[in-house]
Amino acid sequence: MKKLKPINQKAIELAGTTNQQQVDDVVAMQSVVGCASTTDPGWEVDMFGGTAGLCQPMEADLYGCSDPCWWPAQVPDMMNTYPDWSADAPSAAKNWRNLDGVYPGGKE
Amino acid sequence: MRFLTQRRRASAAAAGALVLGALLAGCGPSQPAAISQDYIVAVSRPNHLNVIDALTLEPVNRCDLPAHPAPGTIVMSPDAQTAYMLIGSFGEIYGMDIETCEMVFSANQSQGNERVRSIGAIAISPDGSEIYTHQNPTAMMSDHYQVQPTRVAVFATADGLDAKAVRTFPAPRQVTIMKTGDDGTLYLGGPDVYAMDISNGSYSTIIASRSLDDPKFSPRDVLTVWPIGDTSNEFIRMFSVVQFNGEPGDMDDSSFHWGYERIDLATGEPTSTIFGPLEVVLFSGQTRPGHPEQMWAVLSYLKQFDVPSQTETRSLMLDHTYYCINFSTDGDTIYLSGALDDIVAYNADTLEKLGNITLGGDMSMATPRVVHRPIIASRL
Repeated sequence: MKKLKPINQKAIELAGTTNQQQVDDVVAMQSVVGCASTTDPGWEVDMFGGTAGLCQPMEADLYGCSDPCWWPAQVPDMMNTYPDWSADAPSAAKNWRNLDGVYPGGKE
Repeated sequence: MRFLTQRRRASAAAAGALVLGALLAGCGPSQPAAISQDYIVAVSRPNHLNVIDALTLEPVNRCDLPAHPAPGTIVMSPDAQTAYMLIGSFGEIYGMDIETCEMVFSANQSQGNERVRSIGAIAISPDGSEIYTHQNPTAMMSDHYQVQPTRVAVFATADGLDAKAVRTFPAPRQVTIMKTGDDGTLYLGGPDVYAMDISNGSYSTIIASRSLDDPKFSPRDVLTVWPIGDTSNEFIRMFSVVQFNGEPGDMDDSSFHWGYERIDLATGEPTSTIFGPLEVVLFSGQTRPGHPEQMWAVLSYLKQFDVPSQTETRSLMLDHTYYCINFSTDGDTIYLSGALDDIVAYNADTLEKLGNITLGGDMSMATPRVVHRPIIASRL
């Protein structure tokens, strides 16, 4: 971070927060209000930092992440924002070609 | 499948012998002896409630649901006739007769500008008269959200369609599963495990989990959205933990373990113990009916642990990941479900694969149930 300098207001505030080590101010939310708008699952690592513990195949975990808006996964939020994302793909492993990215204009 | 077919034939033959015996005696009951067996009840995509013969793994009924199937958490009425489902994007409850597909109960938890979501936390009273959910409300304002206090809501099943909560009580945050004890106590799995008197909303911590402060162990890591354990009459959830074998916090001299937090729903007795080494990620687990010393858990492996010795005794790599484990009511068969679109059965003694059924749509994070009830004539 020493070679990076914030140049706008948001970045300056963010840098100031990290400098003050204000991690204790972060509290867990009690309800989810939205997660990712991209579809890029598979980058996660397991509890040991590897991939052997991840679900097999990746499609087995796809809706388990999108249904509850599981925040670490790069899949659309089906709980609140894009409930019909998988409408044309009841089986993720067999119908994955029907899954598309989502866009703000496509919000339900 | 041969094993399952043989079991069903034996059951039918025994029942037939009872009926024939009554007729020959001429003084038996006017109605034939009830014939019953296990069924699996499961929600799957795109919007189905599946009723499956647990012995043959053949479907016997499939009902269409009026809402998005997630999360697909089911609780069954005491007579195993009505499935109460948390679906509708975590916000709606529907009760459906599993034989006729008739909708007998519905409740939209969101009202007005308040959006309500429940993460797998739905339970039913022992007499089937009340449904309980843990609610996460958010006030949807025109330009911002206001997160509201969490609560437990009580619905009367007799209210039928479009029911409204008859009571609500303040409840802890981050509750993901709930179950009711035989005496009606509501158990909530959140940061700790709580016991609530559902008549007045008073509650207390019955198992310390996040609040546990033991320098010999790291904080516990709990992940569950599956209120399983029906056939062992238990509330149970697993945790992973680091045990410091030297100085507290010294990861160089530590070991990783699986444990469970369990409540015997017959007696209310809580147990919190390590049951084995942590070598792979596991999502759900329960003890085997009739064999409380056996702990079984699943994700990409099916594993058996011996609780007293805290050792892993058997391990089976699965064809693919399954989230949710269930046992038959006699404890002899293991059913794995969730994630993708098939349910697989294994013999709990031999780990022989007994068969599987493909539902056509993924179960995702659904919680299927195994119930023992009178025979259902196939509707398909």
